Amino acid sequence: MKRFTVLLIVCFGTLLLSVQASASVEIKTWHTSQGSKVMYVHSPELPMLDIEVAFDAGSARDGEKWGLASMTSALIGTQTPNLSEKQISRKTNELGAKINGGVDRDMANFSLRTLTRESIFKPALELFRESLTQSVFNPEIFNRERQRLLVALKQQQMDPSEIARNEFWKQLYGNHPYAHPVSGSIETVKALKLEDLQDFYKRYIVAANATISIVGDVSLKEAKEISENLMKSLPKGQKPAALPEPENLKTAQRSVIKFDSSQTYFRQGQIGVERGDPDYYALFLGNHLLGGSGFGSLLMEEVREKRGLVYSVGSGFAPMRVAGPWLSYLSTKNQSANEAEKVVVDTLKAFMKSIDDKHFQAIKDNLIGGFPLRIDSNAKIVGYISMIGFYDLPLDYLDQFPKIIESLSKEDVLKAWKKHIHPDKMVTVMVGNPA
Amino acid sequence: MTAIKMKMIKRLGLAALLITVSAPTWAKLSEFQLDNGMKVLVKEDHRAPVVVQQVWYRVGSTYEQVGKTGLSHMLEHMMFKGTKTLKPGEFSKIVSQLGGQENAFTTANYTAYYQVVGKQNLEKVMQIESDRMRNLVIDDAEFNKERDVVTEERRWRLEDNPRSKLNEQFNATAFLNSPARNPVIGWMTDIRSYKSQDLRDWYKKWYAPNNATLVIVGDVQPQKVLELAKKYYGGYQPEAMPVLKPQTEITQEGVRRIELKGNTQVPSLQMGFHVPSLVTAKDKREVYALSVLSSILDGGESSRLPQSLVRDQQIAAGVSAGYNATDRLETLFELSGTPVNGQDIKEVEKALLTEVEKLKKKPVSRQELDRVLAMDEADHVYYRDSIQAQASILGSLVSVGLPPDTLDNWIENIRSVTPEEIQAVAKKYLTNDNLTVAVLYPDGKDHSKIKAYTGRL
Repeated sequence: MKRFTVLLIVCFGTLLLSVQASASVEIKTWHTSQGSKVMYVHSPELPMLDIEVAFDAGSARDGEKWGLASMTSALIGTQTPNLSEKQISRKTNELGAKINGGVDRDMANFSLRTLTRESIFKPALELFRESLTQSVFNPEIFNRERQRLLVALKQQQMDPSEIARNEFWKQLYGNHPYAHPVSGSIETVKALKLEDLQDFYKRYIVAANATISIVGDVSLKEAKEISENLMKSLPKGQKPAALPEPENLKTAQRSVIKFDSSQTYFRQGQIGVERGDPDYYALFLGNHLLGGSGFGSLLMEEVREKRGLVYSVGSGFAPMRVAGPWLSYLSTKNQSANEAEKVVVDTLKAFMKSIDDKHFQAIKDNLIGGFPLRIDSNAKIVGYISMIGFYDLPLDYLDQFPKIIESLSKEDVLKAWKKHIHPDKMVTVMVGNPA
Repeated sequence: MTAIKMKMIKRLGLAALLITVSAPTWAKLSEFQLDNGMKVLVKEDHRAPVVVQQVWYRVGSTYEQVGKTGLSHMLEHMMFKGTKTLKPGEFSKIVSQLGGQENAFTTANYTAYYQVVGKQNLEKVMQIESDRMRNLVIDDAEFNKERDVVTEERRWRLEDNPRSKLNEQFNATAFLNSPARNPVIGWMTDIRSYKSQDLRDWYKKWYAPNNATLVIVGDVQPQKVLELAKKYYGGYQPEAMPVLKPQTEITQEGVRRIELKGNTQVPSLQMGFHVPSLVTAKDKREVYALSVLSSILDGGESSRLPQSLVRDQQIAAGVSAGYNATDRLETLFELSGTPVNGQDIKEVEKALLTEVEKLKKKPVSRQELDRVLAMDEADHVYYRDSIQAQASILGSLVSVGLPPDTLDNWIENIRSVTPEEIQAVAKKYLTNDNLTVAVLYPDGKDHSKIKAYTGRL
């Protein structure tokens, strides 16, 4: 039982925003002959290696076939022309390697963690290459995995926080490809065909659409060989077309879903900014104070510490390929739902009117002082360089972050918030029995 | 590659990590004890200019009495509500301004507090952490608000989450007289009935230097840390600690079953057998054998449960096996599962027990043992990527009375486990008379009073 649990609310990989101060991450980047972008950081202290390969192949590429990206990723690496599913899982475990995959709205992401010991390293890389790039889509495995996903989707229907999450995206994004749930819906998943997955794989899992990130005990020369080799058997292909820009709401929108739960699950927000937006720094800094830093934030102080209305409350931007959401969230007993909402709205409005000097300095100190913590492990570093590579952020993004934060004034923050956030045009979602 | 994981919530994530890792020989661990009895463990890790401080108290839900369950967890909340010199919430504000991350957690076995900060800020967090070891002020108004927060926490974790509720009731069924039956967060009635004085008494009883362990991992010099520890924690007087009654769980003499009907569309199942932990076992080799057995069943995608129930027979959407080898009291070897659509939950139960019977009848193969070892050996390197994980493992071991080098010896102990030993513990412990089964069924009500969420979720 933690005193405070951070709710993983919005597609989370992208919330990781970060930077560092004195300690520096030296990133090297290049393209493979097949056109894949590579990001590399040498980290020799532990005899291990992390690789992440990100493709622009998230659920925003589903089209009408919601859940397609997610199902495709679930099937990748289950079988190859040479290896059965059983052989792949045995080999992975025999090597002590970790091979994982995941999908969000923007990307499909595949990762390998392995020891760099000679007898393990080469076979683990080869297994990763083969399962990622030589996938065979077996109808029996497809049906089985689809059944499992349908069980999970059925369970989600009875989970009020999940219902609130999906409803929020739906209300906010309307017909935009970000609107639907990453895993699709029961109907759309039932309608998927094996050929859909094969087509999606051929179209999106291609070298030109890949960003490879490498962190660990391998030299630059080795990293070049690894990246070249990893992509050698993938067709070059091409990047998909840009996603459409979402449009912000013209008026406030409210959706209350009656649900038999002891708490009401609340989400309120609007469309924020895309990754790389120059205003993001000021917005992020402001949000860190408003609701992005746990017990250092105003929402936590007002809603929990002063009034005891919630266990967790917060707010966050999720900058994405095109503008992602900003939202505030909480859950509270049904009788308190309206009171809690009012506190959130009042806190936001007061914050956007003026920021107290002491609070402002404290939150800057938090961000700048906390930079080294954000890059203190290989796992965190590979997450950041993958984000920088995938979203084409400048290589000195991490170095610049604390400097820019330091340079921002209260006025800069308020100006950016007033430009992007409009408290009178929010989407509000409540699931439960708000009294 | 994305296996759709639907594992049941493990009661204690740390233990899961614990049973698979071990400290590599090159890690430098320094052990000290202050004159007042406080243990100090320091592990150097100079990869980043960062350090984690953790303070562990030997008190948790298994120390609690009927009617006051969850008191340790409530006290954990109150530890952020001010001392003689700090206002409520000020502790967190100081850590935040240093750029630090902090939190605390309570389990059946212990309560722990931590901060991760840049190394130049270690002294400051040691100063404020030591302050609240003895100088906490529990104000009535703050207490009342925080009790509301904890009831919200319980609603969120338990009341609206039928699987967590199942786990809570399963636990209270498997354990009849042992305090291992207590929910960590406490029963709702108990939470509502706390008085501020209960918290003051609980604090006074357990928060003493000789009942605490300080763990520091990161870019530090052990001697420097020891000096700081003496300066900030060394001045407190030791206390006479209460002696707990044994409350040893009675022997189970027949299967126990419960059902829970809840807000779910999918049934699920949790099963457990009473087994010793590394702390309680007369023969520690049984613990190593049970740990390997757990990995044979559910260690990696190639292990028996996912291979057999999910892939070959295709009757389960998710399965898991788990064993908290480092619980303070006698613990459970657990199995759980969720059926795929159209499959009866009883079939999942039967299939899980069939896998258990196989372990009794036929010794596991050398190849399977090698696979378990390979994964353990790799994990034993991977976990060093996180200073938090390194500190947490040390703190959790020492807090249940195990030596801090338990981990260093883990791989060797696992390596020596024989197929016969695995067979023997399966036969001895995984028996029907020693089994508790809890099943969650859909309650059949329509909890959503608007349209059903087929289509657009």
